[in-house]
Amino acid sequence: MAGAPAVRISIESACEKQVQEVGLDGSETYLQPLSMSQNLARLAQRIDFSQGSGSEEDEPGSAGRAWAEPGEAEDEEGLVKFQPSLWPWDSVRNNLRSALTEMCVLYDVLSIVKDKKFMTLDPVMQDPIPPKQNPQFLQLISKKKSLAGAAQILLKGAERLSKSVAENQENKRQRDFNSELLRLRQHWKLRKVGDKILGDLSYRSAGSLFLHHGTFEVIKNTDIDLDKKIPEDYCPLDVQIPSDLEGSAYIKVSIQKQAPDIGDLGTVNLFKRPMPKSKPGSPHWQTKLETAQNVLLCKEIFAQLSREAVQIKSQIPHIVVKNQIISQPFPGLQLSISLCHSSNDKKSQKAASEKQNPEDHLYVLEHNLHQLIRECHKQTLSSTVMPHPASAPFGHKRMRLAGPQAFDKNDISSLQSNEGLLEKIIKQAKHIFLRRRTARTIDSLASRIEDPQIQAHWSNINDVYESSVKVLITSQGYEQICKSIQLQLNIGVEQIRVVHRDGRVITLSHQEQELQDFLLSQMSQHQVHAVQQLAKVMGWHVLSFSNHVGLGPVESIGNASAITVASPNGDYAISVRNGPESGSKVMVQFPRSQCKDLPKGDVLQDNKWNHLRGPFKEVQWNKMEGRNFVYKMELLMAALTPC
Amino acid sequence: MGVTCVAQVPVAEGKSVQQTVELLTRKLELLGAEKQGTFCVDCETYHTAASTIGSQGQTGKLMYVMHNSEYPLSCFALFENGPCLIADANFDILMVKLKGFFQNAKANKIESRGTRYQYCDFLVKVGTVTMGPSARGISVEVEYGPCVIANDCWNLLMEFMQSFMGSHAPGVPSVFGTKHDSVYGPADTMVQYMELFNKIRKQQQVPVAGIR
Amino acid sequence: MEPETFLDHEMVFLLKGQQASPFVLRARRSMDKGGMPWHLRYLGQPEIGDKNRHALVRNCVDIATSDNLTDFLVEMGFRMDHEFVAKGHVFRKGIMKIMVYKIFRILMPGNTESIEPLSLSYLVELNVVAPAGQDVVSDDMRNFAEQLKPLVHLEKIDPKRLM
Repeated sequence: MAGAPAVRISIESACEKQVQEVGLDGSETYLQPLSMSQNLARLAQRIDFSQGSGSEEDEPGSAGRAWAEPGEAEDEEGLVKFQPSLWPWDSVRNNLRSALTEMCVLYDVLSIVKDKKFMTLDPVMQDPIPPKQNPQFLQLISKKKSLAGAAQILLKGAERLSKSVAENQENKRQRDFNSELLRLRQHWKLRKVGDKILGDLSYRSAGSLFLHHGTFEVIKNTDIDLDKKIPEDYCPLDVQIPSDLEGSAYIKVSIQKQAPDIGDLGTVNLFKRPMPKSKPGSPHWQTKLETAQNVLLCKEIFAQLSREAVQIKSQIPHIVVKNQIISQPFPGLQLSISLCHSSNDKKSQKAASEKQNPEDHLYVLEHNLHQLIRECHKQTLSSTVMPHPASAPFGHKRMRLAGPQAFDKNDISSLQSNEGLLEKIIKQAKHIFLRRRTARTIDSLASRIEDPQIQAHWSNINDVYESSVKVLITSQGYEQICKSIQLQLNIGVEQIRVVHRDGRVITLSHQEQELQDFLLSQMSQHQVHAVQQLAKVMGWHVLSFSNHVGLGPVESIGNASAITVASPNGDYAISVRNGPESGSKVMVQFPRSQCKDLPKGDVLQDNKWNHLRGPFKEVQWNKMEGRNFVYKMELLMAALTPC
Repeated sequence: MGVTCVAQVPVAEGKSVQQTVELLTRKLELLGAEKQGTFCVDCETYHTAASTIGSQGQTGKLMYVMHNSEYPLSCFALFENGPCLIADANFDILMVKLKGFFQNAKANKIESRGTRYQYCDFLVKVGTVTMGPSARGISVEVEYGPCVIANDCWNLLMEFMQSFMGSHAPGVPSVFGTKHDSVYGPADTMVQYMELFNKIRKQQQVPVAGIR
Repeated sequence: MEPETFLDHEMVFLLKGQQASPFVLRARRSMDKGGMPWHLRYLGQPEIGDKNRHALVRNCVDIATSDNLTDFLVEMGFRMDHEFVAKGHVFRKGIMKIMVYKIFRILMPGNTESIEPLSLSYLVELNVVAPAGQDVVSDDMRNFAEQLKPLVHLEKIDPKRLM
């Protein structure tokens, strides 16, 4: 060991101060190192001056001699006895030295043992180990255990995942319902009553006074199986409408010839109109609610009409049977307004197969009925009801103006228009009927009679109670010359007012025959007027003209008119008499010189008298060439005018 | 409301009020006018109560409250040479409440009643003016419906009035003078009636029976 | 539907007589809606036996008049005591009228453009015009006032205390 090289050890003092206490915030309070005098005092305290140095011998001796260093001399011990640690590093050095000694010994022993010449290591006999267990079994068990542990963790995780997926699905369904509910709220008024959601599809908030609750219920559609594929038209929301508003309805307004027997009345004509196609993209509850609302409105219209039909006194009473109101606008004519409500159940499907004439139905009047009832709604809601200034009493604005602005009786009665829905719609129906019949009359005349021609120009802008048409009677080819007959017809509710170009105003009743007779008489007058105009153009002179001649056979329609025109040089004269029934009669007056069978007398001696016009001769008008009367007349005039 | 002229027709010589009215109406019917119901214009006089006069330091004013059956929902309140208020029928109730301040001279109540005649665009009302039980005079009101500017149709009105009133046709009413080109209104008619009633009241000089 | 707004100008006229209390008439016109007649209102004294009723009951006469009302009242002898502008909303429930408005003071007499609010808060007034003798109406009014409870406390006012 003496040959072993010296081992260098580096030592560092911690130089740490002792911790006196650790504060609550972790800060440490250090003990202050002792000063020189304090140190001396401490050491001095250690020295037991009462005891001799002999007691010091026991100390090193009692301490284990296990680490006696072989290289150390004994005097070292003595040194130790008498000099209690001269320097602080003494113990350290001793410990290190003993450690070195131990290490050297161990090294030596191991090197000798390795040689196996002088020392061997012999294992200690132990108990025989128990028969080796199947390592696979152990492995299996251990693997199983570990797998079970892993599986547990995975299962826990999987459980959490599946729970969250299920929640998501549920949320999605819930969210779908909520978003559908939101969409529903954008269109309809909803309120929550207890745990039910109810809605209002009546027109009450728009001003209706109809006593129907009109509430529908919103139900959550939960009968959906999440595992199966969700159908295309699945809607998480469903609405339940009141049972009496199911199906679809409309108001059928038609004008027919009076039904011969009353037994026909009251038959419920369920004409199943195809459900109006819902707008693409609008959910099924929207169409359902809209249809139910329409049914409600139709019911309200019909209720109002039947109430008025019973209350209002009119000359011919209105008949109200079941779902039909029948009234008589004109004699021989019947206006029937019926509420056609077809529900979706199978019973009515069979009834719907009966054929109905769809042209019978006046869509315009149905639309007008809807408009009128909405007008009534608006009346109750109108802001003219709110008083301005605010302290004034409630009441219609115009009524309050009646006092200060001194309204007279006409103004006041116009304020209180007490025309009900039924009266208005009957007036409209009358007008429509009258207009149609007038058009038919004019058209039938136009197609029947070619000469003269009758043209009708209907005005585009009409009123519900008034329409107008301009009727022109012309001859083909001579429109610029013969345009004296122009009639403006104002078709009202019960009468037709005719304004003639010459300023006359004639009022015709609703009778078809009156209009026809009038037009025929005007056509006959036109022919004679045409001759007058033609004469002007041709240079002929009008000798006499009369719209209503008192001679000749009496016409059953109107009066005959007559005209006599003379040729430019006076030789010839044409006399025309035209009547609506008797047609036209044309006579030509020749000069005396051309007539061969004139009796010669003694009175007229001079030859100059032969130049006067003499007797008349009738023209065979139907054998004349020319496509119409005026053309023929022109040819005649031309023939009688020598070049 | 068209331009209206209210005039007084003096009672014919030797005839009663009733007979003069009949003469006029017969002339109108011969002209071709058609009878269209009756009319009534009445006027009540209110006097500011003595109690208020003293505190205000001014002479009491007369306020006339008039009604016209032509405007059934209105009530006219006017002061002589003052504004004319057109109100609704509740004004009468207010006058009842104002009993303490304005007293109704009940004996002064005067009214004109008669028949209405319509002749194309003209509306003629011939009425007997009565105060209490006695008939005091005759009022004739002629209205030309289409025109609303007084001075534009005065000549036409006068010509028409001459046709059945003869020499009794009046001159231009005083309200026309102030109107110039402004629109004629019902208030002007009531002013004319008020002036007519005052004139008739003064004519016979019947003492106004007790204001209190 | 937007609630109906109003802007009114009200003038209170007094006629002083020998009696202790002058006769009060209120003339009100609408400033925002043209063509509406002036509203003249007379309100009588509160009825006796009022203590049991839940609402203030007074005799009332409402008259719609033409536009020369102020001149006429002056001619009658009335003098204007004060005037103000009211601006707010008016609501209706059956025969009940509820007005929520702010009162504005008029700075220059006759000029309704220069106004300043009397206070920042709104005045809520619930009134009903009903035929004489119908006291049941006051119960309906109280029921309605109950519904407005946490927002507004509607109480019966005693005009004598305010004078």
